[in-house]
Amino acid sequence: MKMLRIGFLIAIPFLLAAFAIGFFLFERQGGLAPYRIPKDSGRVVAADADTLARGEYLARIGDCMACHTAPGGAAYAGGRGFATGYGMIYSSNLTSDRDHGIGAWSIDEFAHALRHGVSRSGPLYPVFPYEHFATLSDADIDALYAYLHSLPANANVPPANRLDFPANRRGALVLWRMLHYRPAPPAPAGADRGRYLVDGLGHCAMCHSTRESNGALAADGYLAGGRIPGSGWYAPPLDAKQLQRYSVEQLAGYLRSGASDHGAAYGPMAEVAYRSLQFLREDDALAMARYLKDVPAHARRDGEFTLLPEPPRQAVLGNGADIYKHACADCHGRDGEGKNGQYPALRDAVAATAPDPINAVRMILYGGFPATTAGNPLPHSMPPFVQQLSSAEIAAVTNYVRETFGSQRSQLTAADVEAMHGIVLD
Amino acid sequence: MLHRLAILVFALAFAPFAHADDGDFGDRLAACAACHGKHGEGVRGSEYYPHLAGKPAGYLFEQLKGFRDGRRVSTQMAWYVRFADDAFLQRIADYYAALPPRTRGADTGAAQLTDERRRVAQGLVEHGDPAHKVPACSACHGANLAGLEPGVPALLGLPVDYVIAQFGAWREGIRNGAPPDCMHDVAGKIAADDIRAIAVYLSQQSNVDGLRPAPAGSFVPPQACGSLPHAEAAQ
Repeated sequence: MKMLRIGFLIAIPFLLAAFAIGFFLFERQGGLAPYRIPKDSGRVVAADADTLARGEYLARIGDCMACHTAPGGAAYAGGRGFATGYGMIYSSNLTSDRDHGIGAWSIDEFAHALRHGVSRSGPLYPVFPYEHFATLSDADIDALYAYLHSLPANANVPPANRLDFPANRRGALVLWRMLHYRPAPPAPAGADRGRYLVDGLGHCAMCHSTRESNGALAADGYLAGGRIPGSGWYAPPLDAKQLQRYSVEQLAGYLRSGASDHGAAYGPMAEVAYRSLQFLREDDALAMARYLKDVPAHARRDGEFTLLPEPPRQAVLGNGADIYKHACADCHGRDGEGKNGQYPALRDAVAATAPDPINAVRMILYGGFPATTAGNPLPHSMPPFVQQLSSAEIAAVTNYVRETFGSQRSQLTAADVEAMHGIVLD
Repeated sequence: MLHRLAILVFALAFAPFAHADDGDFGDRLAACAACHGKHGEGVRGSEYYPHLAGKPAGYLFEQLKGFRDGRRVSTQMAWYVRFADDAFLQRIADYYAALPPRTRGADTGAAQLTDERRRVAQGLVEHGDPAHKVPACSACHGANLAGLEPGVPALLGLPVDYVIAQFGAWREGIRNGAPPDCMHDVAGKIAADDIRAIAVYLSQQSNVDGLRPAPAGSFVPPQACGSLPHAEAAQ
């Protein structure tokens, strides 16, 4: 009995500390306020032609449709699946259907979900980039709301999420928010337009940042580049150093066309070009390019991409130069200099210089087509080599390209290449 | 005379543009060439990938859109066309449709038919199975199996595994044509071993003369199929 009392006395400071830490973390993610869904203020959002056109433009730049449309499904009716480290999450229906979409949502509720990541069904999973949308202006949120409410109602019910414990509990999201979420301060009036688009609707940092534990976005990983969860692609850093090769005009052109003299977008970025950024107005593209080229250079994060440990590493460089000469040089040039704007230079290309070799391997394995856009309506494709070259040969030529044109120490083996086999569509 | 001269001058003046625009269009399709051949002729020794050259542009365009929009399931093809708009896909279809179809029958010995299986296959290809309401392949794909504009492809020299896989895909609803989906109906009525016999038989047919699909309307297929003209509608 006495022992128990002593134990209790000893535990008190720990319990108090735990409570204090919990309280601190809970306050840091905004306290209770985010979980109070606002009452409908009765405010009516104008849905005139101008507002709807602006809303459509903003929805495109935010690329809402890409995530909220299932392959082959009705636009904005939800159901696209996202493979996360915690299981599958399916996007929701954004059409004006009152039962299955957001037709019954007030503007207050809509703005709250965008800014705080909490809807009438509880906290939203952070695959929804509410941390970014929090900075949107009232006028832009109104226009998005008006546009989405103008979409024809569709009664599609997306598949139920299939998540592992504890991620399958919405309550776990409160814990996640306590650890990783800080409410973003609203963007100051007159803030830089480029930054507003990059950090807000563009939500570029969702892919182009280095994520920390639990998939969280930390401030020091902001636009620092990283492997995109679930996609099998590496998104390069977006900063002054990485974008040095581009003039502001070239970068704006790349954003709008998905292609440039320095290379074209493939994989997830091709989708962004196809569905979203090709509709970017020129002034907005220039503003984004100016801002991105001003992001302070990040320190390189070499060595974070661990290769397979076994079998014993014996880097295959051997015949990489020969393979390059026969399979690659016709288009990309003997010295990786590329050819008259149709075939990109490999010297200093992202695939050659990135700390993560996955883009280079993926391109050599499966090739691909850049997106068709108004600025690049008839793209040149990269052929696949998965049928012609063995995994050892692909490792060798990748090592050659990365060492010769990207100054990367590259020690891929056939086993590394085999681990990257497989086309990832979603 | 003056008229002709004017045309000649006009043609010469625009020739470089025509070349720059069309002449090198195939250079953009290196990814396609890897499996379908540089000129869409198919790759010799390939066990699966079909030829594209000379197939009707309308057919090729529908297939490309199908891969993009999920009516036809192929991870590889979806990877290449998923971010391609209709205009580009139409150009690709036109490009391959204009190339001369030349296919050689498989000559490998790996897939041979006994005389009895060959008779069955040839019977189904040329006469169908009226008792089970299976039309002959030739009724839609042409007596010479070279196809019919604008939407029916040639069957000459298709790889065995490709044809078998398509029958399976139609049966299971993995490959879907525009409704009414005639091949879904047909595929469900043919026994599995007969499908194999037909596939081997078709793979052995050559198109060395570059036979093109029959012109639209030159004969009328018996069964309703997509939006193509057919005998049922004429009645």
